[in-house]
Amino acid sequence: MNLLDIRNLSIELIHDEQNILAVDKVSLSMKEGEVRGLVGESGSGKSLLAQAIVGVLDDKWYVHADRFHWRGIDLLRLTIPERKAILSRDIAMIFQEPMACLDPTTNIGEQLAEAIDESQLSGFFWQKQQQRRAATVKLLHKVGIKDHDACIKSYPHQLTEALCQRVMIAIALARQPILLIADEPTAAMENTNQGQVFRLLASLNQLKNMAILLISHDLENITHWTNTITVMYSGQFVEAGTTEQIFNKAMHPYTQALVDSSPLANLHLPAKSRLMTLPGSIPILQHLPIGCRLGPRCPRAQQDCVRAPSVTSFHGHKVSCHFPLLMNPKMKKSPLKKTTRA
Amino acid sequence: MLIFTLRRLSLFIFTMLLLTLLSFSLSFLFPGDAVINLSGAINATPSQLAQLNENYQTGSNIFVQYFAYLQHIINGDLGLSMASQSVISHEIMNLLPATIELSLVALLIAMFAGIPLGFIAAINHNKPSDNIILSVSMLGYSVPVFWLGLLAILIFSINLGWLPSAGQISLLFEIELVTGIQFIDILLSDSPYKWQAFSDATAHIILPACVIAVAPATIFIRLARTSMIEVLNTSYIRAASAKGLSFQQIIFRHAIRNALIKIIRHVGLQFANLVTIAMVTEVIFSWPGIGRWLIVSIDQRDYTAIQSGLLVLSCFIFVVHILTDFIYAALNPLARGIKHGSR
Repeated sequence: MNLLDIRNLSIELIHDEQNILAVDKVSLSMKEGEVRGLVGESGSGKSLLAQAIVGVLDDKWYVHADRFHWRGIDLLRLTIPERKAILSRDIAMIFQEPMACLDPTTNIGEQLAEAIDESQLSGFFWQKQQQRRAATVKLLHKVGIKDHDACIKSYPHQLTEALCQRVMIAIALARQPILLIADEPTAAMENTNQGQVFRLLASLNQLKNMAILLISHDLENITHWTNTITVMYSGQFVEAGTTEQIFNKAMHPYTQALVDSSPLANLHLPAKSRLMTLPGSIPILQHLPIGCRLGPRCPRAQQDCVRAPSVTSFHGHKVSCHFPLLMNPKMKKSPLKKTTRA
Repeated sequence: MLIFTLRRLSLFIFTMLLLTLLSFSLSFLFPGDAVINLSGAINATPSQLAQLNENYQTGSNIFVQYFAYLQHIINGDLGLSMASQSVISHEIMNLLPATIELSLVALLIAMFAGIPLGFIAAINHNKPSDNIILSVSMLGYSVPVFWLGLLAILIFSINLGWLPSAGQISLLFEIELVTGIQFIDILLSDSPYKWQAFSDATAHIILPACVIAVAPATIFIRLARTSMIEVLNTSYIRAASAKGLSFQQIIFRHAIRNALIKIIRHVGLQFANLVTIAMVTEVIFSWPGIGRWLIVSIDQRDYTAIQSGLLVLSCFIFVVHILTDFIYAALNPLARGIKHGSR
C-alpha cells in the first residue's frame, strides 16, 4: 500500500480576474521507507506542493485534488481539523532557511519541547516537565548535537545555519513522523554541512524506516541519496521513476536537459565552450504557456504540444510528454531522437 | 545586560547635558537679562543682583557660566517663579507626580486597549472586524483632543453625571502629600475614609486619562496590526503550524511576543506625543499637574518656569523612553548581549 498517494493535485493563486494555476495536476505517490527526490527549477512549484501536503499554505492559495490518500485514509473525506490532526501527527516538514524558521525570541529548548506530543508523556503534570526535558535532550542527541545544555539555552541567532537545520530536523522528529518532507534542507549551506545533513537524513531513513521527500533543485546532488525521483517543471509533472531511470534513461526532454546541464555531464566539453542548457528561462506565473509548459523551450516541441500531455507509464517509469525519448523506437514514434542525442 | 545598562545610562547622561545646554541657551534667547531669566529674581535689590551675578559667574566666559548653571541645577536650585516668586523646584515636586500619574495611567489604557485591538484586527486581516477597527482608529486619531475633552465632559459629567469633570480628588478628602502620586498617598494615609478616597480618585482620573489615551491608542492599534500581520507571514509561524501547534498556541507562544517587540520601541516614542496631549487635557480638566502649570507660565511670560518646566518634562519623557528600552531588551534576545563587530 502506498504511504502517500496524490492524484492530480492543483494549486491556484486566487487572483482578481482569473485564478493562476501555479501547480497543474501533479501526481505523487510514496511508499513506506522510500526516499523520493522532488526536483525542479526554482519556481517550479515544488515548495508549494510540499506546503500544500502539510497544509500550511495561507488563504491566498486554493488547493484541490482528485485523490489524496494517506496510508489508505481518504483525507478528502475528512474535515479540515481531522485532516490537520492526522497530517501533523504523521508528516513533518523541514524548511529551507532554518534560521528564519525558528522563532527568534524563544530559546531552542522551548521550541523543541513544545513540538513533543502530549501523548508521548505519561504521569502527572509535575513529572511531565522533566520528561519533556529528557525527551528534548534525547532528540538533540539523535540529530548529533552533543552539547545539549548550551543548545537548549541558546537562541536561534546564536547558532550556525547547519546547527539550526539540525534543530529543525529534531523538531520534525519530535512527533515521530512517518514521512519527513525536507524542502531544500541544505540551501545556502557549505558543502561539508550539506553532507552532514544528508547523511543524518539517510541514517534516519535506514534506522527508523522513515520515508523522506527530498526537495531540491540540484538533481545531481540528490541522486546519491534518493531511491526514486519526481521531476517538475513550472508547476507541471514531468517525469517520475527510480533514480537509475531518471539519471541514465531519462525519457522527457526536460529531464534530459537537467541531466545534461550538470557539470559532471559537461566534463568532456572543450574549455570555454558553452554548457548545455535549454534556451530561455522558466515562464513567470502571469504568462504560462498553454498545454505542455515546456513547449516554448523544448527542442522536440511539435504542434501536439499545445495540448497538455497525459501521463504514460513504462514499467513504473512515468513520463508526461507527447514525444518521449525512448530507447526502443518501436514503442512510440520519436523521429527526432537521433538528432537530439547527437 | 550590564553593558546594555551602562550604555543606556551614558546615553541618559549625555542627553541630559544637551537638554541643560538648550535650557541654558534659552535664558539668552528670552527677552530680558540672562541672570534674571535664570534666577527669576525680578524684584532683586542691587546687592542681591550682585550676589546673583557672582553665583551665576556672569562676568566670566560662557563655559564658566554654563558650569555655574549646571551646578545650580544639580543642587536642585531652579530659581524662583517670575510670576509668583515661589521656589520652582518645590512647585515642580508638587506638580510633576500628578502629571506622571495621569500620563502613565493614560499610557497603560492606550496600550491595553490599542495593542490587543490591533492584534485582533491583524488576525482577522481583510475581514469586516479588521475594517471596523481600522476605521474607528482613523476616526479616533483625527478628533482633536480639546474638542474630545469638552465633549467627554459634556456627555459623561454634565448629561449623564457619571464622572467628575475637574480636579484630581474631591476636596472633602484630606490626603497628606507623601510621594505626590495620589493613589500611593491614599493607600499610605491612615484616614478612615481611605477606600472612599481611593474610589473618588479613580473616578476623577478615568475621564482625563481616557481622553489622553484615545490618540496614542489609535496609533498603537495601527502599529500592532501591521507588526502582527508581518509576524504572521514569517516562516517561523508557518514552521510552527507545520510542527502541529494549534492556532492559539502559535498566537500566544510565538506571534504576540514577536509582534510586541516591534511595538514596544514605538511606545517610548509615542510617550512624548502623549505628554503633549496630557498638557492640553490638564488645562481642560483642571488637573493640578505640571502641564497646566507650564501652559499658565507660558501665558504669563514666566521664563524661569518655562525653562525649568521644559527641562523636567523632557527628563521625565526620556526616563520613560529608557524604561521601554529595557522592556524591549527583556523581550528581545537579539538586543541584549554583545553583537559581533559591536566593539
